[in-house]
Amino acid sequence: MSGDGRAPSWAAGEPRVAHRDVQAIRGPLLVVGGVDGVGWDESAQVATEEGVRHGLVLELDGDQATVQVFEGTDGLVPGAIEVRFAGSPLRVPVGAGWLGRVCNGRGAPLDGGPPVTGDRLEPVAGWPMNPVDRDPPHEPVLTGVSAIDALTTLVRGQKLPIFSVAGLPHLALATQIAAQATSAGTRFRVVFAAMGLTHADIAYVRDRLEERTSSGELVLILNAADDPAIERILTPRLALTVAEHLAFDDGADVLVVLSDMTNYAEAVREVSAARREIPARRGYPGYLYSDLASLYERCGRVRDRDGSVTIVPVLTMPAGDITHPVPDLTGYITEGQIVLSPEIAARGVYPPVDTLGSLSRLMRHGAGARRTRDDHLDVAAQVLAALARARQSAALAELVGAAALGETDRSYLAYREELERELLDQGDAESRSLEETLDRAWTALATLPRQELTMLSPEMIRAHLELPDEGVDDA
Amino acid sequence: MRSLPTGSAPSLAPLRDRIHAQAEGVVRACERKSAEEAAITLAEARRDADAITERAVQAGEAAARSDAAQRSARRRRAAHELDLAGRESLRREIEDRVVARARMLRTYPAYPRLLASLRERAREMLGPDAAIEEHPDGGVVAASGTRRLDLTLPALARAALGSPSEEVSALWMP
Repeated sequence: MSGDGRAPSWAAGEPRVAHRDVQAIRGPLLVVGGVDGVGWDESAQVATEEGVRHGLVLELDGDQATVQVFEGTDGLVPGAIEVRFAGSPLRVPVGAGWLGRVCNGRGAPLDGGPPVTGDRLEPVAGWPMNPVDRDPPHEPVLTGVSAIDALTTLVRGQKLPIFSVAGLPHLALATQIAAQATSAGTRFRVVFAAMGLTHADIAYVRDRLEERTSSGELVLILNAADDPAIERILTPRLALTVAEHLAFDDGADVLVVLSDMTNYAEAVREVSAARREIPARRGYPGYLYSDLASLYERCGRVRDRDGSVTIVPVLTMPAGDITHPVPDLTGYITEGQIVLSPEIAARGVYPPVDTLGSLSRLMRHGAGARRTRDDHLDVAAQVLAALARARQSAALAELVGAAALGETDRSYLAYREELERELLDQGDAESRSLEETLDRAWTALATLPRQELTMLSPEMIRAHLELPDEGVDDA
Repeated sequence: MRSLPTGSAPSLAPLRDRIHAQAEGVVRACERKSAEEAAITLAEARRDADAITERAVQAGEAAARSDAAQRSARRRRAAHELDLAGRESLRREIEDRVVARARMLRTYPAYPRLLASLRERAREMLGPDAAIEEHPDGGVVAASGTRRLDLTLPALARAALGSPSEEVSALWMP
C-alpha cells in the first residue's frame, strides 16, 4: 500500500542537504555518515532512482545516523542513494482536510487524491495530555450494538478494548461500531486505523465504512499486512494526532478504532529486535507497557473544551491467552474490556460478546438517569445477575438433565435463550436505538418469574412489564 | 364348534345392533381424534412453514440489503475517487506550470541577484568550501564532500508547492 514514491507534502518545505555517505546497509537499516545536527526519531527521505522512500532515525553515534527505511532497503546500493533529514520528527498537517480521506500509515493518500493539507503541522508522536487539564469521561457514545450499549456502555473519553481470538468476528464488530456510533454532541467523527490487516479485510472495511467516509465524517488510515512494520507503529499515532485536532480544536466527539493492536505490538517487537534491544516477556521490549500507555492515554476530555477522544482498540489474544503480554498490559491501562467468546460464536450469536466477562468500568459515568434512560443501570444489573444464575442452571442441567431441574431453573434457561435471541444477537449491519435495546432487555426479563427480578423496583416492573394479572404485589 | 340353534338370530339382533352401535361410536371417536390431531399437526406444520418462510424472507431481504449497500458503497466510492483524482490531476498540472514558470525566471533581469542569494544560502548550509555550480534549469547545485544541496529553480518551486499549507491547497480544492 505504501511505496507510491510520492513524498508526503509535509516532508517538503525548505530544501534539505542530501547525504550520500551511506556506509552500510543492514536489513531495513541504513548507516549514514557525515551527519550533523540530526536528532533521534527525526524523519528522513531516501532518494533512489526509482523514487523516494521514507525512514526514521533510530540511533545516533558521533556523525553516524542509523535510519530505518519504511519500505525496506531492497535494491538500494550505497553511492546511488541520497538521504535527506527533515530536521524534525515526522509531523503531519492537522485539520478537517483529513475527513473523507483514505491514507496509509504515513499519511500518504491511497484514494487517488492530492496530499492532505492542514492549517498547521503536529508531531505524529503527539504530546502527553496534562493530567490536571483532564475532565473525567462523561456521557455515552452509543454504538447501536445492543450487547455494548445495554451492558458495557462506552463513555466519551473512555478507552475500552475488544479482546478477541483469531477467527471471531472482531473486525466486523469494530467496523460496525465505526459505522454506527453516535453521541449526543453536535458533531461525531470517526478515525479508523487498520494495522496489519489482509487486503481482503481492508476491502471489507472500506466497503462497510464507505457511507461515513463519503459523507466526510470518517478518516481511514490503512496499513496492510504486507506494509512496512515501522509504518504500523506510526499508524495509531497518526490516527490519534488527527483525532486530537478534530476533538480539541474543532470540538468534535471523536471515536478512534484501532484494529488490530496485536499486529501493532508485533511490529514494535520487530523494530525492537532490529534495534538490538534486550527482549523481555515473549520477545517484546520491556517498554511495551509504556509504549501502549503512550497511545491509550491520548484519549479523554480536556477541561473547558467541547470535544473528546474515545478509543476502542481491538486485540486478538494469541491462542486465546488473556495473560499474553499484549492483552495483559492493555488491561492495566484501559477502563474495562469487551470480551468475545468462541463458545457464544459457536451458538450462532453475533456479536459473540461474553457479557459476564465484559465490563465498562466507566459505565456509571455514561448511563442512567439524564444520560441514557432511568432504568438503564438497574436493567443492566438485573440482566447480568440473571445471566450469571442462568449459567449456574445450565451447569446443573448438564449434571442432572434439564428435565430434573426445578421450574425456576428452567425459567432461567429459557431466559438465557430469550436474551441471546432478543437482545444479544443482531445483524452486523443492524443499528438499534437505545430505546429498542432496553425494551428488548425487558422482553427477555419478562420470561423470568416476577419474584426473581429483585434488582428492579416494582414501579419499573409495572411500567415495563404490562401484565396486570401478574401484579408485582402478588409475586 | 357348534352353530347357533335355528331361530336364534332374531334373539341376537339387539346384541348385534348394540355392538355395531358401539363400534360406530369408537370409529367416530377415532375419526374425531384423528381429525383433531391432523388439524393440530397441520396447524403446527403451517406455523413451521410460516416461520421458515419468514426466516427465508428476512435472510433474503438482509442479503439483498447487504448486496445493495455494497454496490451502492462501491459506486459512491468510485464517484468520490473520481472527484479526488480530478483534484490530484489539477494539482499536478499546477505543479508542472509552476515549475515551468520557475525555469523562466532565468530570463528575468533580477535573476543574477537571485542566483547570488542562492549561492549565499548554499554556503550557509554546506560551509564556505562548498563547490557551487549553476544548473541549466536555473538556480545552483552545491556539494561539499558527500553532502549535496539542490537549490535549482524547479526543486525550489516543488518545495514551495509541497507545503502543507491550506493556502497552497486552495489552488486545487473546489
